[in-house]
Amino acid sequence: MSASKSAVVIQNLRKTYQVHEREAGLGAALRSLVSRKSRDVKAVDSISFSVDMGEMVGFLGPNGAGKTTTLKMLSGLLYPTSGEARVLGYVPSRRERAFLSQMTLVMGQRNQLVWDIPAIDSFELNREVYRVPVAQYKQTLDELVELLDLGKLLTKPVRNLSLGERMKCEIAGALLHRPRVLFLDEPTIGLDVTMQRRIRLFVAEYNRRYGATVLLTSHYMADVEALCKRVVVIHHGSILFDGDLTALVERFSPHKTIHVKLADENQDFGAYGEVISREEGQVVLRVPKADTARVTGQLLANMEIHDLTVEDTPIDEVIEQVFAQPKEGRA
Amino acid sequence: MRYFKLIRLYFRIGVLNELEYRANFFVQIFQTVLGLLTALGGLAVIFEHTGDLGGWRSDELLALVGVYFLVGGLIGFVIQPSMQRLMMDVRTGTLDFMLTKPEDAQFIASIRQVEMWKLVDIALGVGLLVVALARLGRVMDVAQVLGFGVALLAGAAIVYSFWLMLATLVFWFVRVDNILVIFQTMYEAGRWPVTIYPGWMQVMLTFLVPVAFAVTVPSQAVVGRLTLQTLLGALGVAALMLFVSRRFWRIGIRHYSGASA
Repeated sequence: MSASKSAVVIQNLRKTYQVHEREAGLGAALRSLVSRKSRDVKAVDSISFSVDMGEMVGFLGPNGAGKTTTLKMLSGLLYPTSGEARVLGYVPSRRERAFLSQMTLVMGQRNQLVWDIPAIDSFELNREVYRVPVAQYKQTLDELVELLDLGKLLTKPVRNLSLGERMKCEIAGALLHRPRVLFLDEPTIGLDVTMQRRIRLFVAEYNRRYGATVLLTSHYMADVEALCKRVVVIHHGSILFDGDLTALVERFSPHKTIHVKLADENQDFGAYGEVISREEGQVVLRVPKADTARVTGQLLANMEIHDLTVEDTPIDEVIEQVFAQPKEGRA
Repeated sequence: MRYFKLIRLYFRIGVLNELEYRANFFVQIFQTVLGLLTALGGLAVIFEHTGDLGGWRSDELLALVGVYFLVGGLIGFVIQPSMQRLMMDVRTGTLDFMLTKPEDAQFIASIRQVEMWKLVDIALGVGLLVVALARLGRVMDVAQVLGFGVALLAGAAIVYSFWLMLATLVFWFVRVDNILVIFQTMYEAGRWPVTIYPGWMQVMLTFLVPVAFAVTVPSQAVVGRLTLQTLLGALGVAALMLFVSRRFWRIGIRHYSGASA
């Protein structure tokens, strides 16, 4: 693997936090004023992977798995406890100007835009901070306005925007300097489906247009499916899987779920598949992927069914099953 | 220069932000007037009984009150709001965005938040100085004005470094608002020349909480009591404090752990 081809290289990266612990209650709180117990928590425990230039990689894991910590180390916010990270050849924690002006970090749960004034004023500030030439700034802004359909949003105070509108402005503000590396930490969280899709399409277009490298975390499988061929799965600070998304799904979720709506749910479904839930008028079955078509046909033929849908196992369930695997190959 | 441009831009944002809330302006005027009345009332009461206080005459002390408002306004205008913002950002994790900017983090952290109505205090301070000088019948020559300017800058640099170091503690302790209240209380002591306090307190007000450099020394320049040694001393302390606080900041930022998302 040649270094020049990789946008991100991580080797044995580790981050340990010291956290204070105390029991619940006022008494414990008072005691902790004098003597504190602290404990080391390994947020990221020796992970290694690399991302090629222009590649879009999904970085998956449950809450607290270490995704955000990793992204923060890659953007130079946090000092790694040990190990090495390089982004575009730079060591992020040195926070060199050349590095910082080529990357961006978008966090779905945080805003950088000033709350009480229109986004365009914050953009203007970013233009100066990133030293973007005026002509290039105007061009980029026009493109972003068009791609994200920002239109009149830019001149309204940010506090008056809806969550989705604000997120679009946040993303535009984070890309005015045309970064080559994007760290997107749950950029679509809390948004409605239409807005999620819009942002997804935008990220794909940005990647296509500028050949930007994207490392994306999301709890929405649709985001990851639409954007990332490859995923890296992290849990308890360690990498559990690194490879094609399809391989992940095949390997850890060889099932589909069938949702059936019908008048009488108290029938025997044992012949069709494993019953996951049975509620009033609705049954959810899990069947091996290969059998999906056959089982669906049989259900429709043999029972009086109002509605039937077939779904991939949601990412959360896939991930759950990933975690259920024995932790082979881990040090 | 680039830094001035950035300062101008951040101030612009601050002004835009403040203009959204007009009421603050009136609250500030009220606060300033109240502060002024308290300060002048104090002076009036004391000079009912005596002609000079620790060697300072009443109009000289008026000049000192002017400097007190001027420096206090400066602190309240940009230093205090920026440092409080810094502490809040460390606690809530929004410092992240500042650190991803390709610019010196200490610089941005120091100018990021302005409370523009504090300009009222600065204007009032200047006004009081003018009145005091007129009453003293004193005309400052170029060297004296320069000395005052330098003393003021040195004082501001010292107070700034002091605040920065206090605020930097937030990287370890996460919540240090109470320490800042101590500063505010101690700054009140600057309403009087530090030379009237007993020795141990003078030492405290000079080195522990640098009120002496912030208010008394520039005031000495105004009323013609400033010696070259004091001025050079102030400059030396300013340089040292700026250096130390920057080192401290750098260590602090390494300890930044962010608030997790």
